[in-house]
Amino acid sequence: MLQLEFWNIALTVINLLILFVLMRIFLFKPVQKIIAKRQEEADKQFNEVKEKQNEADVLKSKYEEALSETETEKKKVLQEARKSADEEYQRIVKSARKEAEKIKIDAEADANSQKAQILKNAEKEIADMVIDATAKVVASEKATSNSAIYDRFLNKAGDE
Amino acid sequence: MDNLADTLIEELNCETVFTIPIFGGIPVSEAVVVTWIIMGVLVLASIILTRNLKVRNISKRQAVAETIVTKLTGIVEGMVGEEGKSYVGYLTTVLVFIGFSNIIGLFGFKSPTKDMRVTIALALMSIILVEAAGIYHKGIKGWLHKFIEPIAIVAPINILEVVTKPLSLCMRLFGNVIGAFVIMELIKTIMPVGLPVVFSLYFDLFDGLLQAYVFVFLTSLYLGEAME
Repeated sequence: MLQLEFWNIALTVINLLILFVLMRIFLFKPVQKIIAKRQEEADKQFNEVKEKQNEADVLKSKYEEALSETETEKKKVLQEARKSADEEYQRIVKSARKEAEKIKIDAEADANSQKAQILKNAEKEIADMVIDATAKVVASEKATSNSAIYDRFLNKAGDE
Repeated sequence: MDNLADTLIEELNCETVFTIPIFGGIPVSEAVVVTWIIMGVLVLASIILTRNLKVRNISKRQAVAETIVTKLTGIVEGMVGEEGKSYVGYLTTVLVFIGFSNIIGLFGFKSPTKDMRVTIALALMSIILVEAAGIYHKGIKGWLHKFIEPIAIVAPINILEVVTKPLSLCMRLFGNVIGAFVIMELIKTIMPVGLPVVFSLYFDLFDGLLQAYVFVFLTSLYLGEAME
């Protein structure tokens, strides 16, 4: 219990130091190493995930930008198309109107010329008829009086 | 009663088991032999626990090893703080060693801490560690200056502390273990069945582990004081 001598104290000190070293080698070092390794791995994964997230964010903003660009492009194209369609429409309407005008004028001219032709024909026919009737009356009724000839002529012309 | 006294003395005496025949004979006491046994058990347990450690899909064995190491070093780190990180390994070893020494009586061995030579050795190591840490962190000048702080007149007391600190460490541990042991022996003579179990829980387990904690706690307290 109370014996004090040098050797056993020294032995205990040595034992403690040896135990310290052995515990360090066999328990603390390996366990701490593995924990540190795991920590490192976790950190690495965390960083990777963060990096990926950043990348995704960049891509997302890029896509959004592209999307908005297409949107404006679409609007522009639509506007242009509308404009050109309008122009086309105007042009077509205009040309159609012109065409119609022309057709109308042509038709009018045609009708006029036809009318003139008909009138001319009728006049000619009437003149022919008059000549014809005159010739007939003159041929058949040589002996009758002038007044009778007139009456006849008038009757015949009325018949015709 | 004579019988009790005889067994007590028998138990209290740490006999020399054998003598190593060099340097005029080195006596090896029971305490040292039990220390070897504890060392063997601890190292063996460490080796078994830390066999093929893995980063992922850890075995239960590894989980136990990791829990033990992180908890123990966590306790000690909480005591010495960030500055004394390099001393955590030694202090944890001492914590485990004293804890095992104090409760190994339950397995029929004589506690090494019941031998004052062991507690003296532990206290010596502690004070050497504390003073060495003081010199290492403050330089010799700073270390010497510590003795005349806060005023020069307390220097004798400060110098005395170099002796009283380890003395108190050594005596506290030794006294607690021996006191617990004597009380347990007395309780066993009064009533051998049942009652000792309850008291054993306190004196052997709780007090044993508490004293290990106190020893390490005070050592780290002195360490912190020496380093600041």
